[in-house]
Amino acid sequence: MQWSVIFKKEMLENARNIKWIWVPIVFFIFGIMDPITTYYLPKILESVGGLPEGAVVDIPMPIPAEAFFYSVSEIDSLGLLVIALIGMRLIAGEMKSGVYELVLSKPVKYTNYVTAKWAGFVLLVVTSTFIGLLAGWYYVNLLFGDLGFDAFLTTFLLYSVYSLFFTAIIVFVNTWFKKPGMVLFLSFLLAIGIDIITSIYGHILTWSPGHISSYVNDYLQSGTIPSEMWGTIGTTFVLIIIMLLLSIVILKNKEK
Amino acid sequence: MSLLTVKNLTKKYDGVPVVDDVNFQLTPGKCVALLGPNGAGKTTTLRMLAGFSKPTNGTISFDEQALSTDIRNYIGYLPQFPVFHSWMSGMEFLVYVGQLGHLSKKEATARAEELMERVGLKDAKKRRIGKYSGGMKQRLGIAQAMINKPKLIMLDEPVSALDPIGRREVLNLMHEIKKDTTILFSTHILNDAEEVSDELLLLNNGKLVQQGSIAELSNLNDSGKMVLEFTSKPENAEEILQALSVVTKMTAYTYKIELLTTDVEAAREQIFNLIHEHRWPITKFEIAKTTLEDLFMKVVSA
Repeated sequence: MQWSVIFKKEMLENARNIKWIWVPIVFFIFGIMDPITTYYLPKILESVGGLPEGAVVDIPMPIPAEAFFYSVSEIDSLGLLVIALIGMRLIAGEMKSGVYELVLSKPVKYTNYVTAKWAGFVLLVVTSTFIGLLAGWYYVNLLFGDLGFDAFLTTFLLYSVYSLFFTAIIVFVNTWFKKPGMVLFLSFLLAIGIDIITSIYGHILTWSPGHISSYVNDYLQSGTIPSEMWGTIGTTFVLIIIMLLLSIVILKNKEK
Repeated sequence: MSLLTVKNLTKKYDGVPVVDDVNFQLTPGKCVALLGPNGAGKTTTLRMLAGFSKPTNGTISFDEQALSTDIRNYIGYLPQFPVFHSWMSGMEFLVYVGQLGHLSKKEATARAEELMERVGLKDAKKRRIGKYSGGMKQRLGIAQAMINKPKLIMLDEPVSALDPIGRREVLNLMHEIKKDTTILFSTHILNDAEEVSDELLLLNNGKLVQQGSIAELSNLNDSGKMVLEFTSKPENAEEILQALSVVTKMTAYTYKIELLTTDVEAAREQIFNLIHEHRWPITKFEIAKTTLEDLFMKVVSA
């Protein structure tokens, strides 16, 4: 009951400040950007000219699975930046402005507050990711050749696990500081830190969330989901739950 | 029977006490002012009562029960600088916080309609809060504090930041509310405390220095001071007055004599007799009550 009140308020807020419009559009652009530029690069180079007489522009065309992974990579980098930008005020913004004084003077359960806000955030992020990847997949089919819908769907579902993980990091960091800029910076630091540790100790940490995008790539190349993926999904969900629980505990005990 | 009992309430920041061993009780149905200069610890006290800050020491009990449940179920709180979701309309915000306090959407809407009317925002209920004036926001703030029919409403400096019109509106509203709800509000403005409150808690440097009703406090602190004014001062008046046993100190001015007395009743009777007997041309006789301002200055400068 209280949970759905907060969730609906988040939905309404994202609709009023048109996040429900611009975020999907931005992800749509990220999704189609790389397949399109890759496809048209030889033509662009030719028309711009400046190449010596007789030079042959011969860039090998990627296979559809490769081209689709470009879309994933784009969403995995620029997309994450947008996600962090829209999430950095989720709780920190309410703390900084002072709205929390009115909201949290009501008998609001911190569990409801944190998880409902996270859920509203996740819904926006996952929907936008879906739209971005779907658009990318469509253009890949148009420009590079057939790639099955199941490949798109599996890619989306697997990559969404990372989206959930990243949003949980942002919610977690939101409970530490009141400064949205600080939340942005530390969320990235944490996510990049996990990536670095994963790439150094990758052979031991085969279940690290930092592997998700490379496992998605493996899947697209080979057509089979790597066996480590399931362990990774398990670890990631455990980490998400731990971060959300810690967020609730921190917020509850914080001097506000 | 007390609604709220605070015992040994202490809050320290880095070892420095901001609220220091404060004890008081709130009687149901009273409007109590937490009065003190800036930095006396009023906001910190209210924030601890509202559950935003954990006391370093001391207990808060509600309805004579130790707090086992969430205190937020019983209180309505208006912070010093209330901030709303400015993208919502006043009505939407009230319904939202009402639902957070476990009202159904239908109940919250009905209650919000009623409150918007009561605080005089009926015509502005569909307007975005971002477009509200300061006084309107403050009234909306009071409405949101009342939405769940709390047993106690706590208002942190509800009128201090408002212009005279806004201030009048909010004070009238408080008069209205105190008929059916217990109010605890903080202020550093004496007139506001004097106007709406039944009882005073005087806070200075984190310590509760005086408490009681305004009448009690001014009696308690009565100086026994009297003032006599004349059209022209009779020559022997000073000597005669000085000779009275109840007079401890006398200061004479051109048309005025100030007396400090040990017994106001006796002094009044004797002086009235003297006036009659000597036919003194009196224009004014006053038993100077200790005003809230005297009291405040005495406490703050002590």
